[in-house]
This record gives sequence, C-alpha cells and structure tokens, in this order.
Amino acid sequence: MTPEYGVAIADIVNGTRNWDMWGRLGWREVKRRYRRTVVGPFWTTLSLAIFVVVLGVVWSRLWNQDPKAYLPYLTSGMLTWVMFSTFCTEGSAAFFAAEGLIKQLRVSYTLLAISVVWRNLIVFFHNLAIYVLICLYAGLPASWSLLLAVPGLAVICLNGVWIVLFLGMACARYRDLQQLVTSILQVSMFITPIFWAPDQLKGRAVMLVDYNPLFHIVDIVRAPMLGKAPSTWTWAVVAAMTVAGWGATLYVFSRFRRRIPYWL
Amino acid sequence: MASIKLEHVYADFPVYGSQVSFRKVLFNKAIGGLLSRADDRSKRVTVRALSDVTLEVNHGDQLGIIGHNGAGKSTLLRLLAGIYEPSQGSITIEGGVSPLFNTSPGLDLDDTGYENIVTCGLFLGMSRAEIAAKTPDIEAFAELGEYMSLPVRTYSTGMLVRLGFAIATAIDPGILLLDEGLGAGDARFANRVRKRIEALIGRSSIMILAAHSDSMIEQMCNRAILLNHGKVIADGKPKDVIARYAEMNREAEAAPPPPPAEDVSAKDLEDLVGAAAKG
Repeated sequence: MTPEYGVAIADIVNGTRNWDMWGRLGWREVKRRYRRTVVGPFWTTLSLAIFVVVLGVVWSRLWNQDPKAYLPYLTSGMLTWVMFSTFCTEGSAAFFAAEGLIKQLRVSYTLLAISVVWRNLIVFFHNLAIYVLICLYAGLPASWSLLLAVPGLAVICLNGVWIVLFLGMACARYRDLQQLVTSILQVSMFITPIFWAPDQLKGRAVMLVDYNPLFHIVDIVRAPMLGKAPSTWTWAVVAAMTVAGWGATLYVFSRFRRRIPYWL
Repeated sequence: MASIKLEHVYADFPVYGSQVSFRKVLFNKAIGGLLSRADDRSKRVTVRALSDVTLEVNHGDQLGIIGHNGAGKSTLLRLLAGIYEPSQGSITIEGGVSPLFNTSPGLDLDDTGYENIVTCGLFLGMSRAEIAAKTPDIEAFAELGEYMSLPVRTYSTGMLVRLGFAIATAIDPGILLLDEGLGAGDARFANRVRKRIEALIGRSSIMILAAHSDSMIEQMCNRAILLNHGKVIADGKPKDVIARYAEMNREAEAAPPPPPAEDVSAKDLEDLVGAAAKG
C-alpha cells in the first residue's frame, strides 16, 4: 500500500479544526461522570488525593525526606504521569471503542484522538485541586516559572494526539498490544522518577533518568509546578520525541488509515 | 451538480482469526523468513465483497440496489459513504454525501433530547446554525413534547426511534445514501415516515437505496442495479431489474447451490469455521 500523505494530512487538519465536535465529545465523558453523583469527576481526584497523601506521608518517613518537600514533588509528578499514561491506555482502545461511529459515518480519526486528549486535560485540571491544597500545606510560594507549565502541557498534549492515533491503529490491528501497553506503563511508573528523585540514583543507573523520555515528559510540567525551569536537555528530548513520534505516526497513518475500518 | 463515478472497484475484507495476532507476527519474524512470504500471502484469507464494479450515477438518479444478503449492498453503500476505501479501483464523488445507516450517530442515553439533536446533527454534518434552524421541525415531527428536556434514557423504544429518525431526516443531503430498515414505529407513524422520506429524497440531488423489498425500490427509485456475488449483473429501469432478480431467484431454486467464491478455498473455509468455533 502506498502512503497517502494528502489524505492523512487532510484528516489531521479537518479533525483539528472541528473543535466544536471534539470539544463536545471530550466534555461529554466528563459530564457523564458528574451525573447522579455528588462529586462527579472529583472521584478520580479524590482517589488520587488519598493515594498521594498516604503514600507521600509513609514514603517520606521511609526515605527520611521532608514531607513538605516530598509531597509537592510526588503530587505534581503523579498528576502529569496520570494524564500521560491515560493517553496511552485510552488511546489503545480509542478506535475500537468508537467502532459504531467509524462504521456508520466518515469521521476524522484525528478528531477522535483529540477528544481523548482533551478529556484527559479536563481531568488534569480537576486534579490540580490536589496540587493547590498540597502547595498550601507545604507553603510552596507561587512563582513565575509556574507559567512554564503551560507550554509543557501543550507539548504533552501534542504528543498525546500522535500517541492515541498510533496506539489506536496498532491496537485495532493487534488486539494483544493493549495488554502489553498496560503492563509496560505499570513498570514504567516505578522506574521513572515519580516516587523517587533523580538525584537518589548513583552510577550507571543515571541512564534511567537521562535517556528515559518518560522522565522528561513528566518533568517538563513537574519542574515548573515546583517552581523550577525544565532543563534544556529535557526540552531537547521532548522536542525530539514530538518530531520522531509525529513523523512515524504520519507515515503509518498515511499508509494504513484506509484499513482501519476493515480492522474493527 | 452531484455525480458519482466508480471505476473497477474491488473491496476485500481480510479475515483475522483469533490465532492471527501479534504473537503470530512475532513468531514469523523470529523464524526469520523460513516460511516464504509468497506462501504466507496466499494463506491470508480475504472475503471479496465487491468485484470489478463500474458505475456512474448522475444528478437526479434515484438508484435502488437489489441483491441477496451478502451480495455486497451494504459494502457498496459504505464505500460510497467513504467509510471503507476500495482495495482496488477508484471512486470519484462530487457533492456532499449523507449516509443514513443508523438514525442516531453518537446518541448519548444520558443526554436530553435537545442535547442529542445537537450531537447527532453535528455528526451528520450540520452546522450549529442549521441545527438551531431545524430544531422546531425535529421537535414537531418527533412529537415528544415535554420529554425533549429529559434524558433519552427515559424514552420508550418507539420514542427513541422517532427522535432519531426526525434528526436524521432533517438534513439537506446532496447525495443521500439510505439503507433499508430506516424508519419504523407505530402504524400511524409509518405514513408520516413515508412522507418525510419522500420530502428528504426530494431535497437530495442523488439518492441511493439498498433494499430487499421490490416494492420499495419500485416506488422510490427511477433506476436500479442488481448485485450478485459482488458484481453488478443488471442495470436499468427498476421494473426490468426486479424482473431479472425474480428470474435469478427461480434459477437458483432450480439449480444446485453455487460454489464458493474463487478467493476462498475449501481449506480456508475450514480454517474460518474452526476459528469461529474457537472464538
């Protein structure tokens, strides 16, 4: 099959421009969680808050760290990680969850992908409530570098779209991949500095930090949330990941886009 | 001016059994080419749904597609809608296509009737302004009254069908693709359904309808094609094509069943049945 870049790019452009539709689809899922519940999507937030606080208090004792430093670190890392890993898990199911639509109408796949990313961005903003409370507790002052989290979030979302497109296609074709993605993410959460700080590693293990794109993805938002600017190396790795990821996705998407409905 | 042109269009559906998965690909890679690629290709099971279809439909055509179950009617409609793309051949379409296979794309049971009008309308390609303009008409046709502000979860099946149908038929289609079975409801509703479909067809430039029922095609179309095993075997006035279809059915009753299509060998069929039994 020859790649059809024109068709693929048209899908991406039309899907992105149809903000009314993806906005609506994204909100709809969030609204569904509000229905007939008292706190709605804040349930996700609440369970994350319990997790972060309990784990934060116990582990800061375990590692003799100041809870006022450890809790904000853990919280900001977890918020970012939860958003990013949900892109991957929901992305794996994105296309076969939308099978009904894909087989009834001509829909833009990019539109479906953006709605997944948008929905999780909304959830991230719900979760920010935890961060605010933890900052108040820890007495973390608000600083200008907090603004750097905005471009960081934008870049994560930009990566989120290709991840959903890529994994959505791969998992529609090979159903086992979905399980594989879930288990890889589970392990990655522990080997990426989220629960522990990068400077706790010594020797060659530092590679787990320097060459781990997931660390940089997390840190590009976490560092500003802690009042620091992300390092240049972090920006470079994330930029490389964005370009490489979009390049690969564009190639695969333009080759196999037309096969997607046949796979479902 | 709307027009549709199909040139030598084929549609092949790959069949992925439960065993054809990531594991198999990995193992094939691991064995490293011991199994020859050509051999592998020939083992790949595909079902040919359409075969060498060449067709031209022009402004004003109301085309009926006739054929048995599995003759390729739905596949042809889905190709025209741009949902499936042909595995070979080309399709050129001028004008906007409105497929109405499912009356309520994107329907959300937790949303109210009004909210669903917006969601389904957007999916059907209407703009916000068009939706707002059409809403009174949809309300009037669906006859749901106060229920419009309640979640559609609380509707009866009949009410849901009325709403979905009212939304779907509110569009201004260029090229309208209809699958039979659209529209149902109680007897009093049936008459109104017919009138509304007729008005919808009147607004369209080209209408294509797939149906089993001869009477539907005869009433609603001015041209018909007959599909058999994915091939167009007759094209002409609905009356003549229906007569040909009836003749074909008589022949089929007299003759033994036809052999399976050439792309599916007996061995493949066994595999398929085996996979289906396992899955």
